[in-house]
Amino acid sequence: MKLKSLLLGGVFALAIAGSASAEDKRLHMIVCGDNTGAGIPLQTEVINQWEAANAGYKVDVEFVPWGQCQEKSTTLASAGNPPAIAYMGSRTLKQLAKNDLIIPVDMTEEEKATYAPPILGTITADGKQWGLPRAFSTKALYWNKDLFAKAGLDPENPPKTWDEMYEAAKAIKEKTDADGVGLAAASFDNTMHQFLNYLYSNGGEVINADGEITFNSPNTVEAVAFYGKLATVSQPGPVAYDRAKLRPLFTEGRIGMFISGPWERAQVGDVNWGVTRVPAGPNGKHGTLLITDSLAVFKGSGVEEQALSLGKLLTNPENQVAFELGEGFTPLRDMPQVRELAAKDPTWAPFLEAIPDGGPEPFVTDYVGMQDAINEALQAVVLGEMEAAEAVEIAAEALEAVK
Amino acid sequence: MAVAKTQRDYFPYLLLVPASAVMLAIVAYPLYETFRLSFTNTSMSPNFEYVGFENYEKIMSKRFPEVIARTFYWMSLSVALKMLIGTLGAVLLNAAVPGRALFRVLVMPPWVIPIAIGVFIWGWMYNGQFGMISGMAQRIGILDAPFEFLAYKNSAFFATIVTDVWIGVPMVTLYLLAAMQSIPKDLYEAAWVDGASRMYRFRRITLPLIIPSIATMALLSAIATFNSFDIIWILTEGGPRNATTTMIIDTYKTAISRFKYGEGAARTVMICLFLGTFTLVYFMLLNRLAKRSPHNAK
Repeated sequence: MKLKSLLLGGVFALAIAGSASAEDKRLHMIVCGDNTGAGIPLQTEVINQWEAANAGYKVDVEFVPWGQCQEKSTTLASAGNPPAIAYMGSRTLKQLAKNDLIIPVDMTEEEKATYAPPILGTITADGKQWGLPRAFSTKALYWNKDLFAKAGLDPENPPKTWDEMYEAAKAIKEKTDADGVGLAAASFDNTMHQFLNYLYSNGGEVINADGEITFNSPNTVEAVAFYGKLATVSQPGPVAYDRAKLRPLFTEGRIGMFISGPWERAQVGDVNWGVTRVPAGPNGKHGTLLITDSLAVFKGSGVEEQALSLGKLLTNPENQVAFELGEGFTPLRDMPQVRELAAKDPTWAPFLEAIPDGGPEPFVTDYVGMQDAINEALQAVVLGEMEAAEAVEIAAEALEAVK
Repeated sequence: MAVAKTQRDYFPYLLLVPASAVMLAIVAYPLYETFRLSFTNTSMSPNFEYVGFENYEKIMSKRFPEVIARTFYWMSLSVALKMLIGTLGAVLLNAAVPGRALFRVLVMPPWVIPIAIGVFIWGWMYNGQFGMISGMAQRIGILDAPFEFLAYKNSAFFATIVTDVWIGVPMVTLYLLAAMQSIPKDLYEAAWVDGASRMYRFRRITLPLIIPSIATMALLSAIATFNSFDIIWILTEGGPRNATTTMIIDTYKTAISRFKYGEGAARTVMICLFLGTFTLVYFMLLNRLAKRSPHNAK
């Protein structure tokens, strides 16, 4: 009798628990990276707040390593089993939107006004916003002051133009044991990113606001030619290097300069370094590539409305800036905390000042196709197999197929 | 009696049902789906249309023929080197030398180490600034400056082959060693009594008797090498300027990186056709060779 009562009680308890969880609707959220960042507990706290305010909905957060993250979300969506909301590189948003896999995030004018226009440009296609910016970076030029001094250059006066940059790199290469500049030209996405810093510093662009390919321009030819020229004063074999491989060269004092993001500030080690805006090209001003990653709301999950409300809560100005400061990302918005940060640590200045002059990752429908076309042009010039004008012309033709 | 006869007739077929079902589910159905997909314009969107032979026309008109030629060149060089070094290694490991067991263990690491880790190590070895190869070459005076092996078309192409050979040789060596050890010892003893030299014994006894094993291993190695993905992807991602883009890398880039599932499926069908034809021709040649062999069973 006792055993029977226990069994019945157990079954009853399980039934209640089962019915309770069955009532909850699940929001599958895919987050790229791991859960070790200092911003993650803050994100969890916001999710808990949202769940408390939205009874009957539970958020299942899944952390996926960067290498597979975007492919996983996209493949799930293509197979008809999309996550409710997922962290995606903003460059993929147009492709996802074109394939009807995500919904627009319908920002109010007030929400739009909280972002600098170039940042809004990274998520806008066909007049609509397709993602909620979650992470952001700009780039600047790091230089090794000791190598500058050894080469007879003023260590406190970094290059401001391409000519100055080349001359400084040449002096370092000739007068020290180090190479002048770290250059990335591997078959990898950040090769194109590195190049776009130069392109945007010379008034060039890949695609205009009307969706026309404008890559084949004198500005681009100059930028590609300069990339090739830098290869003569860079570390040997830049085609074997992506951006991540340049940091060890900088920390070991083997290169005088390299372009990268604010995260390097904590990682360049004992080098006597400085950081400044990306040097300006002959036809432009100090530019930078603006990269954002966004939370995209997928179509067909059945909880689109709730996913959007969760995304907006996570990315509202207060929650977003707390998350960014925790994770060490470049802040997306001009907030009092950000101004305080810049005042306290002046090495943030080149990254924050660059925002209004930055350009977005080009919005196309085949991002990898674009990346391959541009990288091939750069490699052709860096390897000395083609003149810049010819390489740009071929790349522009290839880009027509992926816009 | 009639019932018993029926049972006897159908029973063997019943036994084949589970295996056939599994084969249908994991081989035939995916192959059929890939074939069907290759005639569609399937991309990210769940909606698609049948486009006939458009995907095949598209890939044949682009640089795919160049990729096919490169794949066969890469595979031939790699397999030839693996077979050569593997056979040599098997002969040496089969020799009666002290510490033979230790050498047999030492040949294993490239095979035992997870491929990705081994390839990352090779990636660093090929690095010009910090890598061992460039560093040693500079010390002994072959190079006067750091050389990036993965930065140039030719050096990257051969560097990927060297890594593939390093990973593939242990399997060839051990397989051929097993084949050599299955040769009856009395054949060697009789030849030795007749005054046959070591080279003569190898040429007239060992080699003819392990030829079927060499042929089988070469075929298996060729298929594995043809489909080798991780080595090239980790080292070069198919670069520089597509110098190491083989059919499998090209297919991955198309189908997975660019989400062009239809075009990717067409490339996969091409790979199946190439490998199928290659295997067929290979076996036909092998059969012809076996018939001509003096050791062919009468």
